[in-house]
Amino acid sequence: MRKRLLCLGTVLLACLSFFTFFSTKTQAAEKTYTIGTDITYAPFDFQDSNGHYTGIDIDLIKAIAKEEGFKVKLKPVGFNAAVQAVEANQMDGVIAGMTITNARKQQFDFSDPYYYAGEVMAVKQGSSIKSLEDLRGKKVALKVGTLGASYANSIKKKYGFTTTEFDQSNDMYNDVTSGNSAAAFEDYPVMAYGIRNGMKMKIVTKPKAGGSYGFAVKKGENQELLTKFNTGLSHLKKNGQYDKIVAKYLGKSAQAKEKKAATSNDGLLSLVKQNKSSLLSGLGQTLYLTFISIILATILGVIVGLMQVMPVKWVNWLSSIIIYIFRGMPLLVLALFIYIGVPNLTGSKISAFVAGIITLTLNEGAYTAAFVSGGIKAVDPGQMEAARSLGLPYGKAMRRVILPQGVKIMVPSFINQFIITLKDTSILSVIGILELTQTGKIIIARNLQGFKVWTIIAIMYIVIITLLTWLSKFVERRIND
Amino acid sequence: MSEQNLKVDVTDLIKDYGNNHVLKGLNLQVKNNEVVCMIGPSGSGKSTFLRCLNKLEDPTAGQIVIDGHDISNKNTNMNHVREKIGMVFQHFNLFPNLTVLENITLAPIELKKMTKQKAEATAHDLLKNVGLDEKANAYPASLSGGQEQRVAIARALEMQPDIMLFDEPTSALDPEMVGDVLDVMKNLAKQGMTMIVVTHEMGFAKEVADRVVFMADGHIMEEGRPADLFDHPKNPRTQDFLRKVLNA
Repeated sequence: MRKRLLCLGTVLLACLSFFTFFSTKTQAAEKTYTIGTDITYAPFDFQDSNGHYTGIDIDLIKAIAKEEGFKVKLKPVGFNAAVQAVEANQMDGVIAGMTITNARKQQFDFSDPYYYAGEVMAVKQGSSIKSLEDLRGKKVALKVGTLGASYANSIKKKYGFTTTEFDQSNDMYNDVTSGNSAAAFEDYPVMAYGIRNGMKMKIVTKPKAGGSYGFAVKKGENQELLTKFNTGLSHLKKNGQYDKIVAKYLGKSAQAKEKKAATSNDGLLSLVKQNKSSLLSGLGQTLYLTFISIILATILGVIVGLMQVMPVKWVNWLSSIIIYIFRGMPLLVLALFIYIGVPNLTGSKISAFVAGIITLTLNEGAYTAAFVSGGIKAVDPGQMEAARSLGLPYGKAMRRVILPQGVKIMVPSFINQFIITLKDTSILSVIGILELTQTGKIIIARNLQGFKVWTIIAIMYIVIITLLTWLSKFVERRIND
Repeated sequence: MSEQNLKVDVTDLIKDYGNNHVLKGLNLQVKNNEVVCMIGPSGSGKSTFLRCLNKLEDPTAGQIVIDGHDISNKNTNMNHVREKIGMVFQHFNLFPNLTVLENITLAPIELKKMTKQKAEATAHDLLKNVGLDEKANAYPASLSGGQEQRVAIARALEMQPDIMLFDEPTSALDPEMVGDVLDVMKNLAKQGMTMIVVTHEMGFAKEVADRVVFMADGHIMEEGRPADLFDHPKNPRTQDFLRKVLNA
C-alpha cells in the first residue's frame, strides 16, 4: 500500500512539474516587452480583414518601439484581460484606448496622454432620441470599464435612464441597433469609426466629459518602459509621424478603404471565405485545447477517482476536497483565478494557453474523478472481495478485476465529458485565448455582423462535436466487444 | 492435539459495528483435514466469523492464527496468507469480464505462482473434476448458478489452498443445482481438505462434517459430532433451531 501511495505521489508531482515547466519566471527576456491590447476597439485596436491586428494603438506602440529601440510582443487579448494581466505581472504594459483616471492611477502608472477623446451618445438611425433629456425611462447600453460607461452612470440619475453593460463594443452596438437599448455612450473616435464603417447609428451629442488615453504599466514597475514610451511619443509628435498614424484611421482617406469590408450584405459563404484563415486557426486552437485538456483531465480524473475509493481515509479525504473545490467553482472564475490570481500569488507568469489547459484539466478532471469513483463503486463489492480472497493485492485486483468492469460503466460519462470539455474551451476566450469563440468576437468587432458570424461559429462547433461523438462511439464499441 | 496440527486457532474473537455487537468472544480450533460446519439462525454471526478468518472483516479484538500466521497482527502479510485460504461466496463472485479459464488462472499467473501453461493445465484438471471443462472458454454470464459456483470452487482450489472457507455456498442456488455443488464439496472433504462451511444444508452437515458448530447471537452455543449435536442437542437454543429447520 505504501508503495502504491508513493507511486501516486510521483504521478501527481510529475503533473505539477509539467505545469511549472510551462510557467516561466518573469523578466526572462531583456529588451522585449509584452504589451496587451484590446481586440474590439476600432480604430485603436482591431483586426483588419487580413487577420492582422491594427489600429492607432498598435501602430503607435510599434512606432515608439522602433524609435526607442526595443521590441514589443503584442498580446491582443481584450481590454479586461490585458488590464488584469498587467496587474498580475503577466504582461509589461497595456495600450488599449485606456483612459487615464484617478481610480486607475491607484493601480497603474500612466504615460503622457497620447489621445484626447470625449464621450458621445449615439442612437439607432431614424431614432427620435436627440438629447440626453429624451432618455428618461429608457435603457442605455454601455461597455464595461469604459469612460463612456462611467460618464453615463454619473448622469443616469439626473436624466432618469437605466443601463446595461456589455463586454464587447459590438454587443453594445447591436443592443442599440436591435432596439433593445435606446442609446450607447462611447468615446467619440470609436463611435465615429464604427458609424463610418457601416454601423447603422448616429451621434447625437457633442463630445463631453472626455478623458485622455494613456499607455499603462503596473504601478511602480517597468518605469524604464514608461520613460521610453514618453520620449518616443514626443519624438513622434514632433516629426509628424503621430499625426500620420491618427490620420490613417480617422482621416478622410481611411473611411473608404475600410467601408468595403463592413457591408452587412455578405452571405455566410463569402464571410467564411473572407475569414477562412482566422476561423481555421481558431478552430485549430479549440481542437488543440480540447485534445490536451481531455488527456490531462482524464489522467487527473482517474487518479483522483481512484484516490476516492482507496481504502485509506486521508487519501479519500484529499480526493473529496479536490473534487469539491474544482467542481464547485465556475469555470469562468477558475480560469480568471488561475490566469490572473496565481501569478499574483507566486510571481510566475503563465501563458494564457497554459492557464487555460490547467483550468480545463482541474475542472473537467474533477467531474471525471466523480464519475470514475462512481463507476468503481458501482462494481459489486463482492468482486473486490473475491479478488482479494485469492491473494491478489489491492492494486492488481483493481486493475484486473474492478477497473475493466468499472470502465464499461464509465464510458458514456467519458464521452459526455469530452463533449463538455470541447464546449468549455469557449469560456477560455475570457483570458484572451484565440480559440473559436474569441475568433468570432474579433471578426465581429471588425465587420459588425454578429448574427451571421455566430451562426458560422455555432455550425463549426456542432460539426466538431458531431465528429467527436462519432469517434467516441466508435471507441465505445471497441471497448464493449 | 499438537499446535502444528492446528489449521485455525481463534481466541476471544470480537467484532463490533459501532454499537452492534456481532461476535461476542468466539473460540474455535480447527485441525488439519477437519471439516467443520457452522449452522445457526440468520444474523447469528456465522458469515461475519468466516469473513474474519481471511480478514475481509477486520476483527475488533481477539486473536486469529491461520496455519501458524497470526493474522490479527498488523505486520502479517495478508496477501500471502490469503493465497492459502480458499473462499467460496454465496453469490459466487466470478469475474464477469473474464472467461471461466481466465477466472481460474488470473491469481496464480498475476502472483507468479505458476506459468501460464501450468496454470491452464491445472485449471482444466480442476474443471474436469467439477464437470465443467467444456465451459472453459465461456463467460460467467452464460453459466447457471450451480455451474458458476462449481467454477468458483475450482478458482479457489487453483491456488492450492490449505483451508477452504464456504460462505453459504448453496443458498443462492435453485434447488436442483444444490446437489452438484454439494457433491463437489463432499469429494473435496474426502480428499482431506480442511474446510469450514457456513451452511443451511443440514443433510450435508450430518453426512460430511467432522464437527458441527451451532451459533446464535454472536456466541458459539454448542459444538460436537454431527450425530451428537443433531440427535441429542443440549442447549435449548440448539434444540429450538433444529426443531424449526428439520421439520420445515
